[in-house]
Amino acid sequence: MAKQQKEDAPAFKISRRGFLKATAAAGALVASGVPALGLARKIGASEHAIEASMAGLKAVRTTCSPNCTGACGMLALVDNGQIKAIIQADDYPEEEYNPRGCLKGLSFLNLIYGPDRLKTPLIRTGERGKGEFREASWDEALDYVAGKLKEIMGKYGPESVGVAFQVGGTGYVHKGAVAALAAQAGWSLHHAYDQNGDLPMFWPMTFGVQTEELEPLEWLNSKYIAVFGSNLLATRVPDAHFLVEARQRGAKFIVVDPNYTPTAAKADEWIPIATSSDDAFGLGLAQVIIEEKLYDEAFIKSYTDLPLLIRSDNGKRLRANEVSGAANLPAPDYREVFVVWDGGPRSVNPQSLEPVGNPALEGEFEVALKDGGRVKCKPVFQLLKEKLAASYTPSRVAGITGVSQETIIRLAREMAAVKPLHIVYGASNYQWYHGDLKGRALALVTVLTGNIGKPGAGISTYAGQYRIRFNIGSWWFPPDKKPNWVPFLYVLHGPTPDMKAKLPPNGIKALLFGWGNPFDQHNMSNKMRKMATGGDFELIVAMDFQMSTSAQWSDVVLPGVTWYEKTELVASPVHPYVQIQQPAIEPLYECKPELWIIRELAKRINPDFAGHFFPELDVNQAAEKAIELMLQKGGEAVAGITLADLKKGPVRLKLPAPGHRQIPFYEQVNEKKPFPPQSLPAPLEKTAALVKSGRIEFYREEDIFRRLGEELPVHKPPFEDTEYRLNPGAREKYRLALITRNALYRVHSTHSNNIWMNELQDLKPRVWLSPGEARQRGIEDKERVEVYNDRGRLIAYAVIDPGIRNGVIIFEQGWWSRYTEGTAYNSLTYPFIKPTHEVYFVPGIWSPNTCWNECLVDVRKAGVMA
Amino acid sequence: MKYGMVIDLEKCLGCRTCAVACKAHNGQPPGVWWNRVFTPGSKFHQTGVGEYGRMGMYFLPVCCQMCSNAPCVKVCPVGATYYDENGVVLIDYERCIGCRYCMTACPYGVRQFNWQDGKKATEKAHYAHGYSYGWPHKYRDKQGRLVYMPSRPKGVVEKCTFCAQYVNRGEAPACVRSCPANARYFGDLDDPQSEVSRLLTQRGEFRLLEDLGTQPKVYYLPARRSGGERIERI
Repeated sequence: MAKQQKEDAPAFKISRRGFLKATAAAGALVASGVPALGLARKIGASEHAIEASMAGLKAVRTTCSPNCTGACGMLALVDNGQIKAIIQADDYPEEEYNPRGCLKGLSFLNLIYGPDRLKTPLIRTGERGKGEFREASWDEALDYVAGKLKEIMGKYGPESVGVAFQVGGTGYVHKGAVAALAAQAGWSLHHAYDQNGDLPMFWPMTFGVQTEELEPLEWLNSKYIAVFGSNLLATRVPDAHFLVEARQRGAKFIVVDPNYTPTAAKADEWIPIATSSDDAFGLGLAQVIIEEKLYDEAFIKSYTDLPLLIRSDNGKRLRANEVSGAANLPAPDYREVFVVWDGGPRSVNPQSLEPVGNPALEGEFEVALKDGGRVKCKPVFQLLKEKLAASYTPSRVAGITGVSQETIIRLAREMAAVKPLHIVYGASNYQWYHGDLKGRALALVTVLTGNIGKPGAGISTYAGQYRIRFNIGSWWFPPDKKPNWVPFLYVLHGPTPDMKAKLPPNGIKALLFGWGNPFDQHNMSNKMRKMATGGDFELIVAMDFQMSTSAQWSDVVLPGVTWYEKTELVASPVHPYVQIQQPAIEPLYECKPELWIIRELAKRINPDFAGHFFPELDVNQAAEKAIELMLQKGGEAVAGITLADLKKGPVRLKLPAPGHRQIPFYEQVNEKKPFPPQSLPAPLEKTAALVKSGRIEFYREEDIFRRLGEELPVHKPPFEDTEYRLNPGAREKYRLALITRNALYRVHSTHSNNIWMNELQDLKPRVWLSPGEARQRGIEDKERVEVYNDRGRLIAYAVIDPGIRNGVIIFEQGWWSRYTEGTAYNSLTYPFIKPTHEVYFVPGIWSPNTCWNECLVDVRKAGVMA
Repeated sequence: MKYGMVIDLEKCLGCRTCAVACKAHNGQPPGVWWNRVFTPGSKFHQTGVGEYGRMGMYFLPVCCQMCSNAPCVKVCPVGATYYDENGVVLIDYERCIGCRYCMTACPYGVRQFNWQDGKKATEKAHYAHGYSYGWPHKYRDKQGRLVYMPSRPKGVVEKCTFCAQYVNRGEAPACVRSCPANARYFGDLDDPQSEVSRLLTQRGEFRLLEDLGTQPKVYYLPARRSGGERIERI
């Protein structure tokens, strides 16, 4: 293996002069594998020649792609077949994006070469979860898995095989291979977006999309940045500098968060807010903006449902086909023609956003119906204004949020006046049962002020990065094979009365997963463990490059590879570049790229399935074929981009805004195309049906929304509909909200075992709590504590932090349970399902979704470790 | 030529990428960090200081300060610690006798002692058999002094070298190259046109423990606290 590498690498003996000359052509050097270490951050060189022999040394450009989806270009410094160090590739055409990469990516060699690296396929010998295995040959392991899968498919139906591969954007080829096999075999796919609780449901409810966000370079165009519940300095390390730079260029930057974070420390203002009250805060801002007429009237009339009429008799939108004399405009099945009042009822074309007439925003109007009756109607705006005036005046909102009335009024005026405004709505904010209401409320602020579809403007989430960037059907879903998506929450929770998704009749009997660690990371990991020990799952198979907690719980472990050992295609939502991964080293030990594993499984399950995976080619060549296929059939975003281009370096997606900048809804606002833009891979008609007016919608007329009083965005306090309903005693017994934020040192559970990351944390998992809460419980700084509720427990060490709000305890999620003495933070959580999330089922877009932070606990001293 | 570094605390995100890049590229074994990032006043990194509602937090990267009047150079009984022709304080690993006077003398606590051979110390982390990390080649300065090797022997002191092995190739130190915030700058302080020199005329730079007269060549540009309060001194 090492020998092969050595032969591949051109001999590199070069004078300093030659070296400096060579560095000027950095791109070409990367492609040819010659050391290009000097391409970045050049300084004046000293005068004497390079001493060391450089034979066997090369730099390989690849893309770091864990589940942060940062997709940072990296150079691996390879010496005689070993990666000696990693550094950012520093090769994005916009200098502002360089260097892109963080401490985790640069320390990834600890995982490639670390002690948890898998070496061979493993078959379980002991009880499930005990981690007792024997080594097996690939043939034996694959034959075993294929045999068991065929048996389960025969006994329970193929849909009883559940498959999860986490986030598609981090690897289109190998994850696509899993999807393609699942589609051919008729297995169930568990979409990671709802499985991970990352799906901010306000997006489909308001804009009809999966998720959208400004690319971080656009932050520099913002003049006002308001961050709600997002710690970008820890979760978006490569992009966080844009916050500082935007501020240096004169933007105002505020952080609204119950807790003081590093991100808050960089802001002009930190607004401490009561836990889970951001919806009230957003509605308070909206109330001031409407009351003081600071809104962008032309914008909301053209682009939103705010002028559409609502019937007072049934709370539904008034349809053109109900109204006497209203024009009947043509519309596809997934849109509807609604009505505004413009001196009389007028039909609104859902196929265009060109402004027509001057619809009323306020008032009450009586409309003559075709059936001879008359009905009183009000525009959505009027209803909203009434609701805000009744419940969300600054004084009322001050009472809910703990933010003073004066501050609310001041911030509302600022946010209405200073444009462009960009709101970042983070996962600590939306991963709650009523997180959708917060998103709808904050979206209202950006929409009322006309801050959509323009440079530096909008609302973004930057968590839950699942959007696919171009058409991938050619590789992911072989002709005539449809994926069968099953929300994983139902597997844990069981069916509900309002469920629209279909559960397999016999349940999930086999679980095959890769790129994930569900036995630590999934909601109710304790329930998963029970399902494993109780035999609900008859087969558990992990594909991973490390012995994670979940690999330990598996029956068969198939050793995959890292992104330094394979060929792959990456394009994630946060970073608008298409990039490839190319092998810097041969796979370690007997590890194999996942495409190879899937192809071998396909051969054994049904030889017809294998034909899709280029069975005649070496796995890296097959991966290149898959990349070429996806680029050719990918549509506009990748039109004309070739594999050869990508081998030279990153290529910007061909997005519709000028300069191909990633500005959500640019086409809607500037070219008047109806909402929504397509959320790939879902067909447009599926998502367009979520906003039938073709506009931004704040009014939801579906019965479930109306039953729950959520037709318009409202504030609902945490725990009332969840923990207190489940157990009224929780109100007194468990008074701390458990917030599970992301750590600087991990990407979810990846890097949990990274020795350097752990040294930087003094090797201990921590919980953060306020001095007041600690004092009440007699807890000292650094003390070993137990976080607990009726469902589970977690052992960690206390950090007493004056920046934490009373009533909150924070754990940084992702620690493998071996670091928490076998306890698991997800034993504390519960899979609550909100009925409004079941009104439709569009996989990964409108789907019930884990709400990690909706979790009450208490904490006590745990004494010294036994 | 006088090499120096400027670190902009306004830009520093406290992410510690610099520390990790330094560790990887210089082959530091477990427990050894030539480059650290602190949250001054706080017991735990990236945890704020103050009272709820009135909090503060900023970050301070600390590596060898590359003093022009370096206590470590003065106390070294064997001349192992020295200034090279560019004013960089280096350790000659072939000359160091491990007496650790320099560690006592250094007011910044940036020197670390190899109680064990670097290779053996790294083996304890159970990497794949035969694996080692760090720039793989030795580097000797103009006089032939051994100032970089991927693994240092037992009984020597080590610290930041401004990445002697890279600077010599015309590349900036790993911490500068890797900083995602571009908060670190490196260059010639003698050249008034260099980026570092120009930065030093703009923002009221300061150095750590300046009163001791050590004359560091690592400069800091001040951060602002939330609300615009300027941090003048550490």
